[in-house]
Amino acid sequence: MKYESQGIAKLYFIAAIALFVGQILFGVTMGLQYVMGDFLFPEIPFNVARMVHTNLLIVWLLFGFMGSAYFLVPEEAERELYSPMLAKVMFWVFLTAGVLTILGYLLVPYARLAEITMNDLLPTMGREFLEQPTITKIGIVIVALAFIFNIGMTILSGRKTVINVVLLTGLVGLAVFFLFSFYNPDNLVLDKYFWWFVVHLWVEGVWELIMASLLAYVLIKVTGVDREVIEKWLYIIIAMALISGLVGTGHHFFWIGTPDYWQWLGSIFSALEPIPFFMMTLFAFNVVNKRRRDHPNKAAVLWALGTAVMAFLGAGVWGFLHTLAPVNFYTHGTQITAAHGHMAFYGAYVMVVLTMISYSMPLMRGQKAANVNAQKHEIRSFWIMTISMVFITLLLTGAGIMQVYLQRYAADPLPFMVVQDRLAHFYWAREVAGITFLYGLFLYIYSFFAKGEEVADVE
Amino acid sequence: MKTDELQLKRAEISTLLSLLNLTALPVIGFVALLFIYKKTEANTIDRYYVMLGITTNLIAAIALVLVTGLMILLGGFDSPWTWVYVISYFVFVHAMFILFATWTMVRSWTGKKLTKSFLSK
Ligand code: HEM
Ligand code: HEM
Ligand SMILES: [Fe+2]
Repeated sequence: MKYESQGIAKLYFIAAIALFVGQILFGVTMGLQYVMGDFLFPEIPFNVARMVHTNLLIVWLLFGFMGSAYFLVPEEAERELYSPMLAKVMFWVFLTAGVLTILGYLLVPYARLAEITMNDLLPTMGREFLEQPTITKIGIVIVALAFIFNIGMTILSGRKTVINVVLLTGLVGLAVFFLFSFYNPDNLVLDKYFWWFVVHLWVEGVWELIMASLLAYVLIKVTGVDREVIEKWLYIIIAMALISGLVGTGHHFFWIGTPDYWQWLGSIFSALEPIPFFMMTLFAFNVVNKRRRDHPNKAAVLWALGTAVMAFLGAGVWGFLHTLAPVNFYTHGTQITAAHGHMAFYGAYVMVVLTMISYSMPLMRGQKAANVNAQKHEIRSFWIMTISMVFITLLLTGAGIMQVYLQRYAADPLPFMVVQDRLAHFYWAREVAGITFLYGLFLYIYSFFAKGEEVADVE
Repeated sequence: MKTDELQLKRAEISTLLSLLNLTALPVIGFVALLFIYKKTEANTIDRYYVMLGITTNLIAAIALVLVTGLMILLGGFDSPWTWVYVISYFVFVHAMFILFATWTMVRSWTGKKLTKSFLSK
């Protein structure tokens, strides 16, 4: 660690991992509710668990992105953070707002939560992923602005590199597109347009810039490959992400009351969306092959490669699987969507944050890399979580195909709930994979405390 | 082993064709690989990669076309289970071949062969 203020990232990463545990606990709870409908009812109904699961995911990823930026930016800009104080204050503001919101979901009926938080004044609640009370949303905007101001000032008055400028662009985009969540028109079709401008333009637009820059940063550090090489790749990846991803939003406008031309625009442009993800794989493979040194942090190299591969599988392959209008006509809103959603979120954004944590945490704890034993555990947890996620994805894909067939394709289609009953075996197996994932996560956390022989320095 | 420019270029083209045969240009990519094979000599880097491309794609053809074909024949066209297995299997295994071909392509750019442990030099 070159600059003292980089250490602030540690706070953010610890909070991120803690909330990650919460997210997965609610995931396995819901997994069980899928097969035992009254499990924990009425204390934690499925819809509440779902909201907590997805909101915790988004919140901890945001903590992860912010922590990553606080670690990366001072080093790239070659100066201390503009205001470490502001970063600390915002950490506590965000954590308090996040925890209070989750408690609100769990302790008060949603309608009552809307009343208490005066949703009537500016109604923004009640939409998937954007369930937060309006005041929480305002809180998020304030935290995001303070954060962007802080790293923006650091970058502008320091060294500007392709990596930190791309990261800043991605983060500004994240904040700007979130503003669409404040617009909630009565017309459902219009509402969906703006909802996707947040959700889609995040994960298939600006977040890709964040991901690419974080990955590039870690890869430069662990491989010692020239910056110039990496920068060229970054330009192309970003261009491809934006060219395909912006109009690609159309793959959500096939069947929601929008004009027919979206079926063409959405299919064609979103069919190009796997390209930037494929390029990130190519880029990571290439850089690792051309590496100038073997970094002692083997776990970080593995996470970086894993991110590139799993993002390509989850977003690229599983996204392409259902993105063409004639296919999506059958698969829309089925378990195929959930299969893709899980692997893409895990492979791209969960893993890129864990890559940053893996690389930076030892440095913040005064080591070059975690000790041999700790890395062994971390690497094992990598495989357990990743393979469990592959199983979750495959099982949901299987469930989804069966669902499409019985409910939408067969000559005598069956009703939704009848079909769900027939999928119970898939859901039980998914639950087993989910619990294995949770075990992997505990092992991951344990790896931070595992004692062992220090790594040999093989610069 | 001789590794002049032309051989390296051919090695790179071979791995690209192998990837293309698995994705955008099935069959065409394979035929092109066969043409390149004819130009190569034993114990050279281009022979190594063109052979790797040919074997990879032959195995892929068996694993993807033959095996899924058999799955459909044995499982029956009208059973949902056939499609559960065929689609999940095809998508996953196809992706694995693409990833492998991508790795070999990147490897050929370094002018070296594949190694057992993929993190070693
Ligand atoms: C890092 C790991 C995970 C990520 C990134 C993740 C992400 C998500 C996302 C994005 C959704 C919304 C899906 C959609 O809208 O289609 C979701 C829903 C869900 N997740 Fe997870 N999840 C993870 C782990 C788990 C685990 C371990 C389980 C346990 C079995 C689980 C069970 C569920 C269930 C049951 C739903 C609700 C699906 C529905 O509405 O029918 N998740 N998750
Ligand atoms: C890392 C990047 C990505 C993430 C995190 C992601 C995540 C998700 C999630 C959570 C959903 C479900 C939304 C909902 O209805 O609740 C979804 C839907 C969808 N995604 Fe992605 N995705 C990514 C990239 C892609 C790519 C590259 C493609 C296309 C090639 C794609 C195609 C689709 C399609 C077509 C749907 C709609 C499914 C339906 O009709 O039900 N996604 N995605
Ligand atoms: Fe999308």
